[in-house]
Amino acid sequence: MAAIVEVENVIKEYPLGKLSVRALDGVSVTFGEGEFAAIAAPSGAGKTTLLNLIGCVDVPTSGVVRIDGQATTDLSDAQLTALRLHKLGFIFQSFNLIAVLDTYQNVEFPLLLLGGMTKKERDRRVRAIVEQVGLEKQIRHRPNELSGGQRQRVAIARALVTQPRIVLADEPTANLDSATGENIIALMKEINRKARTTFIFSTHDPKVIAHAERVIRMADGKIVGEENRLAEGVA
Amino acid sequence: MERVRILLLMALRSLGGHKIKGLIVGSLLAFGTFLFVMGTTLLENIERAMEASITQSITGHVQLVSKDAVDRLAFFGPDASSEQDLGVLEDFPRIREVASRVPGVAAVVPMGRYYGQPILNTELDEAIEALEEAVAGGDAELIEDRIGKVRRMTKTLHEDFERLRLLVREDDPETEKALQVLGKATSDAFWEELRANPEAGLQFLSFEVAKLSDDQTMVYLPFIGTDLHRYAESFVHFEMVSGEMPPPGSRGILISQAAYDQNFKNRPARLLELIHEARTLDRRTIADDPRLQDMVERLKEMTAQVTMHLTPQATAELDADLRARFPEVEGDLDDRLAAFFAVDDANFDERYAYFQERIVPLIPLYRVPVGGTFTLRSMTKSGYPKAVNVKLWGTFRFKGLERSELASAYSLIDLASFRDLLGLMTAEKRRELDTIRSEIEVEEIDADDVEAFLFGAEPELEIGSVEEGLDLDARLEALDVAEGGTPETFDPAEIEKGTILNAAVVLDDPSSLSKTMVLLEEAFEREGLRVKAIPWTEVTGVVGQLVVVLRVVLYVLIGIIFIVALVIINNSMVMATMDRIGEIGTMRAIGAGRGFVLVLFLLETLVLGLFASALGALGATGILAALGSSGIHTHEPFFIFLFGGTALYPAIDVANVVWGFVVIVIISVISTLYPARLAARVPPIVAMQGKE
Repeated sequence: MAAIVEVENVIKEYPLGKLSVRALDGVSVTFGEGEFAAIAAPSGAGKTTLLNLIGCVDVPTSGVVRIDGQATTDLSDAQLTALRLHKLGFIFQSFNLIAVLDTYQNVEFPLLLLGGMTKKERDRRVRAIVEQVGLEKQIRHRPNELSGGQRQRVAIARALVTQPRIVLADEPTANLDSATGENIIALMKEINRKARTTFIFSTHDPKVIAHAERVIRMADGKIVGEENRLAEGVA
Repeated sequence: MERVRILLLMALRSLGGHKIKGLIVGSLLAFGTFLFVMGTTLLENIERAMEASITQSITGHVQLVSKDAVDRLAFFGPDASSEQDLGVLEDFPRIREVASRVPGVAAVVPMGRYYGQPILNTELDEAIEALEEAVAGGDAELIEDRIGKVRRMTKTLHEDFERLRLLVREDDPETEKALQVLGKATSDAFWEELRANPEAGLQFLSFEVAKLSDDQTMVYLPFIGTDLHRYAESFVHFEMVSGEMPPPGSRGILISQAAYDQNFKNRPARLLELIHEARTLDRRTIADDPRLQDMVERLKEMTAQVTMHLTPQATAELDADLRARFPEVEGDLDDRLAAFFAVDDANFDERYAYFQERIVPLIPLYRVPVGGTFTLRSMTKSGYPKAVNVKLWGTFRFKGLERSELASAYSLIDLASFRDLLGLMTAEKRRELDTIRSEIEVEEIDADDVEAFLFGAEPELEIGSVEEGLDLDARLEALDVAEGGTPETFDPAEIEKGTILNAAVVLDDPSSLSKTMVLLEEAFEREGLRVKAIPWTEVTGVVGQLVVVLRVVLYVLIGIIFIVALVIINNSMVMATMDRIGEIGTMRAIGAGRGFVLVLFLLETLVLGLFASALGALGATGILAALGSSGIHTHEPFFIFLFGGTALYPAIDVANVVWGFVVIVIISVISTLYPARLAARVPPIVAMQGKE
């Protein structure tokens, strides 16, 4: 399995007044293509920071993060933006849909940023992915007309419509009831299986962790454990 | 293209999502555009109308003055009332020839601006003169009638002086002397004596009594000395109201109808006319307007200015008429007329009509009738008083500007009289004066002699008055060509070879003003003529500056609105950025570049700005179009002058609308630059800090 995300000895510090807080303290981890991995940790352990670095919305204080072989520290803001656009998909804890756009337009948005696509091709892809997440009926609804689960489905469709190599999901079920959360995870897993898209998500929800193929456990900015093929009942 | 679509869509949607902000900013921008389009359009129209008012009545489009002019030429405002040293246009016929060859020049009219004081007979003067005529004629009945009038007037004068004596603290010798004279003039004995020996009595009246009456106010008559015929032909607004143009080569004056009404009209008739105009044109009422009430009060004291002109028969008839109207009023005709003049809103129209129909035909309506001659006095350039008899050939007005005081300020006088009044002398005249100097004993001339000479023997003569203590030259200048008199006529072909102060150039097309100015100056330069061309805007004094002031006020107002708009837009966009930080972060995380965010924010205000300013411009053009067909009407003399008539029909200039639009769009973009840059700097990481 080829490595698509490489994290090497990464330290991330945030200034806090005159002091600085070390959010990541020498983290090294590698994700292979098509993985369905969870970063499991309590709040404040550094899992969001790690996800931000992998998502190229932040760069490490020291150490290297490579996405598809490309070190993020070498890139400009514009190059990082392009990298996010072409290779990454994001699913946010609060869905982060654009309020003024409807389902179709939200999903279409990254394709428009991407450009170089006919209207027809775009339409085909938007409709296909919307159908896949089961929102054909809500295609002209604005986010405020959708339930939490439906919103997260729109977010998943938006993250996947550009056919990214990696999808990052930060606590994707935190704002959903457990049944809906299960559905969302099931949907993500299904896409992972079908399209071989790498999924890396952070969570502290045991039910979600149960679905992961690989679980990386963190505490105090360090990786403290890793399990492949998770055993039942481990929290 | 698709990106633009989504940008536009998002911009519109965000605008929809922030309605209050959009409404406030939008209304500001709409109002700004409205004001801009409205203001600039009205100003331009006023400027054009004023240009027409001024250039086609008085100044022409370009004024020519000597390059040696010390002062700035000004026709209106404070500069116009002080003396101006303009030098002299040398060789005017050649200047005209050169200027006329310049393309676009329609006419070159010589002119000079000056002012004089008409010396008008007092009412008493006229009554005494009429008595003299009657005595000379020998008609006993007429003599008795005229005696009656003079007696009535001396009686009124006597009463005035008695009132004056009560007002002065100590016994003023002059008042005492006047009372003594008037006491004699009102006594029965005096009039018995006069019937027996008219000559001595008339002399007493002319020399002792007449000078005590002073019913004239100081009147200044600004005039333009010009070639009257050329003037009438070149200025399209000029039209005669009464009388006729003087034949070519004749001396004389044309008085503007407004100045004629104001300064020469019978006072009660004038007051009634003013009240009538205020009531009909300006819709004022006597009950509400203190100025009109004051006029009525003055009117009631002016009965003598009607009654003294009446024949015995007319007096009797009018008295009978008014007795029927006012049976309760005691006293004589003056008392009944005073009752008649006590007008109010209910009876004014009827009484005005009665006055016009029954009384006006009985009295001389103007102190100098059209066709009559009066003496115009001026201070010459060298500072000595000078008097010239001028014939009033007629009255004129400038079409559409009848009620504008500014436009009707100037009367027109022939160039020969003009030069006399300014004391400009030709070499020829100087020689003439030298001859006179050798012929008469100038040393013995003093003011009394001149006055006797003036009012005594030969009223037909061209006359000058001199004050005591002036030097020889001054006396000569004042006396001028007393011996032999000024010729009544002059050679129109020769007249322009004399001194000309300035000249008006009228153009075929006013819009070619600046181009023609350059051509004129070049032509004068080429021909070696020391002539300077000045655009009309610079010779109108305070009037021309008025437009500049209006423009500044408008621009300051627009500027303030735009600055307020700028601040408010900037502020609300910064707030919007704060509100939308999560959204911006999400877009950035998903892969939108900084440029995308920047353009999105700029586009939002741009769309709003375009929409709002289109609305404002549309509103302004709508109102202007309505005004363009209905016209903005006025009866205020000041606005009549601004509007070039009683109504302004504004024409819309597309350029103003486009400018309004462009300015607003620029304002929108500038005001959003900072917030848009702020938005573009929102880091994508904020998308991850979602609400818990």
